[in-house]
Amino acid sequence: MQTIVLGLIAGVIYALIAVGITLVYKCSRVLNFAQAEIGTLALYWTWWLSGDHHLPWAVGALASIVFAVAVGLLFERFFIRPIATAPRVTLAVATIGLLALLASVEAALFIGSIKQLPNPINAGGFTVAGVVVGPSQMLALVVVAAVALALGAFLRFTDFGLGVLASADDPVAAQLMGVSRAKVSAFTWGVAGALSAIAALLNEPTVGALAPGVFAGLFIGGLTAALVGGLSSLPGAFAGGILVGLIEAEIKAHLVFASMPDLQYVAMLLMVLLVLLVRPQGVLGRAAA
Amino acid sequence: MRAIVGSARRANIATALLLLVVLPPLTSHAMPKLVEQHNWLLLDRGIAAAVAAMSLNLLLGYAGQISLGHAGLLGVGAFTAGNLITRMHLPMLLATAVAIVVSAAIALVIGVPALRLRGLYLAIATVLFALAMQYSVFPSHAVSSGSAGVAVPRLLWGHSYLTDNAVFASICFVLFIGAWVIDDNIVRTRVGRAFRVIKENEAVAQSFGVDVVRYKLMAFVVSGAMAGLAGAMYGQTIGHVDSATFDLMSWSLPLVIMVIVGGMGHRLAVVIAAFFFMILPDALGSLHAISPIIGSALLMMTIARHPEGMADLLTIRRRPAAVSDDDDASVPALPDLPLPPASLRSGVVPQPRGNNALLEVENVTVRFGGLTAVDHASLEVPAGQIVGLIGPNGAGKSTLFNAVSGLVRTESGIVRFRGEPIQDLRSDQRARLGIARSFQQVGLAMDLSVRDNLLLAQHQLASYGDTAAVLMLPGVAERESELRQRADVAIEALGFADAADKPVKFMSGGQQRIVEIACLLLTAPDLVMLDEPSAGMAPGVAENLAARLRELRDALGRTVLLIEHNVPLVMDTCDYVYVLDAGRIIASGTPAEITADQRVVEAYFGAAPDAPPPVARRTRKTVGAPS
Repeated sequence: MQTIVLGLIAGVIYALIAVGITLVYKCSRVLNFAQAEIGTLALYWTWWLSGDHHLPWAVGALASIVFAVAVGLLFERFFIRPIATAPRVTLAVATIGLLALLASVEAALFIGSIKQLPNPINAGGFTVAGVVVGPSQMLALVVVAAVALALGAFLRFTDFGLGVLASADDPVAAQLMGVSRAKVSAFTWGVAGALSAIAALLNEPTVGALAPGVFAGLFIGGLTAALVGGLSSLPGAFAGGILVGLIEAEIKAHLVFASMPDLQYVAMLLMVLLVLLVRPQGVLGRAAA
Repeated sequence: MRAIVGSARRANIATALLLLVVLPPLTSHAMPKLVEQHNWLLLDRGIAAAVAAMSLNLLLGYAGQISLGHAGLLGVGAFTAGNLITRMHLPMLLATAVAIVVSAAIALVIGVPALRLRGLYLAIATVLFALAMQYSVFPSHAVSSGSAGVAVPRLLWGHSYLTDNAVFASICFVLFIGAWVIDDNIVRTRVGRAFRVIKENEAVAQSFGVDVVRYKLMAFVVSGAMAGLAGAMYGQTIGHVDSATFDLMSWSLPLVIMVIVGGMGHRLAVVIAAFFFMILPDALGSLHAISPIIGSALLMMTIARHPEGMADLLTIRRRPAAVSDDDDASVPALPDLPLPPASLRSGVVPQPRGNNALLEVENVTVRFGGLTAVDHASLEVPAGQIVGLIGPNGAGKSTLFNAVSGLVRTESGIVRFRGEPIQDLRSDQRARLGIARSFQQVGLAMDLSVRDNLLLAQHQLASYGDTAAVLMLPGVAERESELRQRADVAIEALGFADAADKPVKFMSGGQQRIVEIACLLLTAPDLVMLDEPSAGMAPGVAENLAARLRELRDALGRTVLLIEHNVPLVMDTCDYVYVLDAGRIIASGTPAEITADQRVVEAYFGAAPDAPPPVARRTRKTVGAPS
């Protein structure tokens, strides 16, 4: 039971990354390999403001989110929009460049130093039927639920949001209906940046430290989740995130061998191969005509 | 001429070997102060990186298959070599050879899902492969002592170890030149051409008779072998590897940077880029941490601004302005093309003569979802005749062509070629039986030159094995030069001598059409299927086309199936005509019978008998568009 809770928490965080990847992919054909790394670099603002300068956690968190949104927007404007019609692989390689850039900036500035961030909230956790739920885990569940509802409501109930959804469904038709492709693209990258920062903020208490490379799991889990969701629907990405989180938690709890560590990565590779070869439309997707 | 070129190449290789093998130890011993051991080590690492970059260049630059998993493949090489040397006491060169084989085998395993996963999905699968290797397999007890990794000593034999980094550089150079020569052999033969056409368009590759599955797997295997070599070399260079040695950031991504910034498919540029990025951190001294930042920034700039990479900046290529479609003077007449010499035609069954049907289509149905594109269509193409297939737009003519050439699956019905059912064969297998087809949208590899397309067309005539090609065994160069001579004759006959090495995409539509037909004829197929050959041609050239088609039938004994909207051309050349409307054959007969058939007139013009005659269309539709 405790394992399921842990898996669920990790899963909803993966879901945020997966939703970011899927949203950008559907609207601008770009598979963003840097989706988790944007938030990871942004997290250093929280460390600097809230850890080093003792400002409230929320202030640092907000700075991180703003930074991540800015990175998303700038990258979209200067590196994606000029080659918007390039093949998908070319676009993906551009994001690999961003991933390498962000990771190497982190490494250049912070290699060998492990930063501690303050706790997001200082409240006690609670125990239900023997299952311990910590305060930051509660926060993660609440924040993800709120973000998911807000994003879902925005996409469904505003004109611009509907334009984004239409664009995801059929970019050409949406453009002909007067939806600005540039605006949609910028919006999705901005949202992706924010989601990335939020996911990194929520993931940090679980990892317990901030150092270059510690969030590799966030990238892998989020990417796997997006694939399991079929890269096509946001609910699918969300479900994929939870599924990946649960499977990973089960493996971490029950399949631990000193002779072969970290089997969850092998499991994720197998999951992705299985989904891609057997059900490429994802767990919740419909088969393409 | 060919022999001179061959011997010059051998002399070049020998000189390079001599210089690169003798110089390092000589320098190191004669002038030990000139280059310090540390710098020899740096050189060794640079060579390993260059081989690794060549490995990814082969896969990504030639065959167009992206891999973010090369860190994993390099690691397989290094860990295999390390274990064999430390646990089994194998000499380093033997261990390296085994490492090459093991990495090639693992790459083959990765290549199998790659047959179904294209582009992005392959990138994801390979990145996960690298991570699974890094976090689970490399630290496992089976291949290393946990996170402590494994030593990769340079064991020469018995108990004698190689410590001199300069001598080791010589060994690395030999292996590097070996990899370079194999890479070069691939580029010069049908293997490299097959890779490049797969990269560009798999449907076109199949129409040229290229077995896409086989060559994709081959690209993975050769790339894996080179990665294994690079990994083993790198391991022996640094002496000890652990799982952190081969992580995504230290190998997979830098290799992508080297290949793309260097210029995909440009071996020399990629090798230079590999040396540059390997040596850069050392050159930067205390600022070494910004080296990966420079690399990733260059990658982003390259993708966004100079997709061809450094190679494009170095070689200033003349880019001819695209010739416009109505520049009729530049469209040449169809040339006389040489038949393949007997040495290239082994295995090609001589064509049956007489009245028996070469191609029979029986009750073939093709459906796309709910749409029935071809509805129980039957037709017969007798050997040695020109048969026309006409019908209004959307009648299903091209779909029927696709069903015959194997690009779409038939739902029911039988397609027979020389009496044998072929509907279950792959498209490249049908091409090898002697069915050649042109596309409504020109079926050429647009990024390749006229010459390369003409060589590619002769893929199935190249009667050497692919392994022989990779090793450039005796005979391969001779066969290859025969193919080149035939291509040269065709280029000469087309009058394209000036444009022979320019990418086909810079030619006009009409010129491309002519090159495409020349490609078909070079293979001397028994059945030539032409999909609107006169589209985009000037009227004068279209007349010439009619004469050529008759010559093809009368002088060369070929059989032709022709889709055409240019009705005068059809009436002028065809022995028999089928009319397709809404997927059904509605009429058939001699041209005279068809012109008189009221159903045909209605299908084309509706009921009005006084409608103007149809005009040759100049639009093209996409065929097998890659995503």
